[in-house]
Amino acid sequence: MTITPQMLGQVVISGILAGALYAMVALGLSLIFGVMRVINVAHGPLLMLGAFATYFLYHGLGLNPYLGLPLVMVVMFGVGALVQRTLVARVVDAPELQSLLLTFGIAIALVNLAQLAFTSDIRSVEYLTASWTVGGFAFSKSRVIAGVLAVAITAGAFLFLGRTRLGKAIRATSQSPDVALVCGIDVDRIRMITFGLACALAGAGGALIAVMVAIQPEMGQIWTFKSFLVIVLGGAGNYPGALLGGILLGLVEQLSSLLLTAQLSEAVSYVLLVLVLLVRPTGLLGGRAT
Amino acid sequence: MRRVVLPALAVVLAALAVYPTVASGYGVRAMLQLFMWVALAGSWNLISGLTGYVSFGHIAFFGAGAYATALAIARWHWPWPVAALAGGVAACLLALVIGYPCLRLKGPYFAISMLGLNEVLRALVSYFEGLTGGGSGLSLPTLEATIPIYYAMGAVAVAVTALAYAIITSRFGLRLMTIREDEVAAEAMGIDTARHKLAAFLLSAAGPGIVGGLFARDQGFIEPLSTFALVMTITMIVMVLFGGKGTVWGPVLGAVVLFVSQELVWARFPYVHQLLFGAIIVAVVLLMPRGVLGVLQQRYRLPRTI
Amino acid sequence: MHRNAAGALIVVLALVLSRLPGDAQAPLRIGASISLTGTYASLGQMMKRGYDVCLKDVNAKGGALGRKVELVSYDDRSDPGTGVKLYEKLITEDKVDGVIGPYSSAITEAVANVTEKYKKVMLTPLGATSSIFKKGRRYVIGVITPSEAYLEGLIDIAARRGAKTAAFIYEDTLFPKSSVRDPGAAVDIAKKKGLQVTFVEAYPKGTTDFAALITKLKAAGPDVFGAATYFDDAVALTRQMKELNFSPKAYGVTVGGDLPKFYELLKQNAEYVYGPSQWETGLPYPGEKEFVEAFRQQFKEDPSYHAASSYSGCQIYVDAVRRAGSIDADRVREVLLKLETRTTLGDFKVDQDGLQIAHKMVTFQWQDGKKIIVWPDELASGKPRYPTPAWTQR
Repeated sequence: MTITPQMLGQVVISGILAGALYAMVALGLSLIFGVMRVINVAHGPLLMLGAFATYFLYHGLGLNPYLGLPLVMVVMFGVGALVQRTLVARVVDAPELQSLLLTFGIAIALVNLAQLAFTSDIRSVEYLTASWTVGGFAFSKSRVIAGVLAVAITAGAFLFLGRTRLGKAIRATSQSPDVALVCGIDVDRIRMITFGLACALAGAGGALIAVMVAIQPEMGQIWTFKSFLVIVLGGAGNYPGALLGGILLGLVEQLSSLLLTAQLSEAVSYVLLVLVLLVRPTGLLGGRAT
Repeated sequence: MRRVVLPALAVVLAALAVYPTVASGYGVRAMLQLFMWVALAGSWNLISGLTGYVSFGHIAFFGAGAYATALAIARWHWPWPVAALAGGVAACLLALVIGYPCLRLKGPYFAISMLGLNEVLRALVSYFEGLTGGGSGLSLPTLEATIPIYYAMGAVAVAVTALAYAIITSRFGLRLMTIREDEVAAEAMGIDTARHKLAAFLLSAAGPGIVGGLFARDQGFIEPLSTFALVMTITMIVMVLFGGKGTVWGPVLGAVVLFVSQELVWARFPYVHQLLFGAIIVAVVLLMPRGVLGVLQQRYRLPRTI
Repeated sequence: MHRNAAGALIVVLALVLSRLPGDAQAPLRIGASISLTGTYASLGQMMKRGYDVCLKDVNAKGGALGRKVELVSYDDRSDPGTGVKLYEKLITEDKVDGVIGPYSSAITEAVANVTEKYKKVMLTPLGATSSIFKKGRRYVIGVITPSEAYLEGLIDIAARRGAKTAAFIYEDTLFPKSSVRDPGAAVDIAKKKGLQVTFVEAYPKGTTDFAALITKLKAAGPDVFGAATYFDDAVALTRQMKELNFSPKAYGVTVGGDLPKFYELLKQNAEYVYGPSQWETGLPYPGEKEFVEAFRQQFKEDPSYHAASSYSGCQIYVDAVRRAGSIDADRVREVLLKLETRTTLGDFKVDQDGLQIAHKMVTFQWQDGKKIIVWPDELASGKPRYPTPAWTQR
């Protein structure tokens, strides 16, 4: 099949839109890793909770999914803070493997709880199903809005991290918990807030994804891996790296589906990842070796 | 200690050797799968438990072995024991090719590169359907060999455990654990870390390769999704951590306890087995982070080489 | 301490792994593994419900061989390996008297090795890939039309109305792949009917973003487009086709499009979508009304063909046991190979390999929120709305 510029353009658009979303969701994972050295495997299932919250707000209260988004973020912040305080806080200083396993346990428990509570039936938020056409290119409404909101939320998170006192405290803790502690930062509290913030980002992702794809308890896992891929690509714990990694992953997935076949697109992403790591063992934007 | 342990082991092995003559078909198959998990968990422990390099895609070696064996049987008509050994060789070759570059990566970077290996292999197996059957899977000619495979699987489980014992009690094992505790220091002490890691990695790939081959022969039908299943990697990790990583008997204990409880729980409570599995993991991590044997070691001054 | 622990372990294992055989006077027990969790959960659920309604009916009519009939089922988590273990457990541990099939071709293919080994007749209400029956297996008996025919209706409808080109995509697993690529399946049918096949490609299980694939399809510009899907992907694909404005003259999916949920989720975007079905409510088959009524009453929803096939498959099996006067596999098999009957699901007759040859599939199209059967002509309840208008006019 000959690839026309038209097709290439369309696929690049899809890739960037998907990538913006990857970046936002992955930023949450990156925050947690940066501040706590915890790989949160439950990130995807938490995103799934956000999607279900959006669904119930939409179908129960008739709340527009985009208006529901801040509410979902607030709720998920609470859920995240709770999970951190009760469970994750106990393993923050343990070896990485322990926390990985703990969050894995949380992940499968969450998925199973969701199956019990919501059943495995597929649900969806049918809102904005059409697209805008500009210059012969189709822009899916839900994906454009998701992309724009994702960029906005990611930018907001960067501003928060860069400008506010709390954000600076988070970055300080991420650079060195011990020094942060000496400087009078309440590291435990920072960790709880970070986890909450990361879950809010996952929840926002869930809300935006809820409008795009089917909602069901097992929808989250794939997002855990994509986020993991994104932050390693960009440099784990490096926050702008998540943005770069996200867009890159979105583009690579779409372009490899177009130029090769959809079957190989995931493999291409991972091959790219390993190649990047071989050249830069800590991801594109550095990060620090752990 | 040794006077108690060796006769006890002999009794257990003898009991397992006669088990197929008294057990039902399901009993044999369940025990066979238990052997499989002992071998898988034990193999993962060799690389990840000893050197601290967490392999998140160890099932890739199982899958590579399964496909190599299945192809050898289906396309080239090799007898299955030879084919399964070839599966082990294929897994080792893969480990050699992958290990050389990837073992330079640290922490999460190594973990995800191994995860990637698994995904890439699955995609390749799906893509080259002319050889592998792709998504339709690969069927082997019907052959009733559950009992011979039972013994073969048992032999692999014993071999992996014995290998772990040999390594952990050797200087080689001590060097690996030095790498785990502090790689820079190990390097400074004159340990050739790259070669040691690669050796451990190769040894940890052989078991899953052979086991994968035996699994393929036993099932008679393999397909990419259930052969390169991430959940299997995670299960072996959980087993090792439950029992106690870096020990000889930890993976065995973890495999036995988790496999048996999963068989029991899943049969009785289909809708909540995952929840219970998750709860067990959370409880183990919070209450006994060094695994059951780790706790026992602390409490009873057991030898390090347990 | 070590010896004690090891000894205790063996005892526990022995207790776990062996149990006393069932009592001869006890009910007739039929075993099955069903996907209650995992990817096939929603379809597995339908299957379980079909079996449940069947057993209720059977027992209301006095069971079989003077015994009550019972289902012993476990969850196989949509995983073939687990299914294999479960059938082995059902047969050798639970000592069930007979077995009946699981959901999906891949799991059926895997467990058939076990049921053959123990010489158990396995009627498979939802295993529909021909290759399962063409491996010299003796005791596997099909109920529904095999995979090759799934897209035939769609292609035929379009070809008779002047379509020139066709494109197909499929999830890369056993059943969807065989419904497109096997000899005599969609690609062959399209060629035979004079269509040019311009694009065929696979996508991995679990795909949620079809943008690149649809872009390629759009460039190929087929008149008729068939997608061999399960449920989640059918929904995602349809949505993204609208977003990317890919509008072939006829578009159909193989599995999932027939579930009421498909329309509930997609609303007017499901309009004009074609789909094959092994069975629909309202077809003129015996016992159809009673079955649908009983199903609705118990589960508050309409049965899909998965439920109907499980229901009829179970009925046929029990009926064969009654006729054979025994649960003995060879005698039941004899009866089934000779059986020619019409059930709630439609016609039943298998060839010497157990492959279903009498049952007829239908093709429906979503029209004004209802599945209207549009193919074949003799079973049709309406005319296809062809060609499909642009997305903005649905």
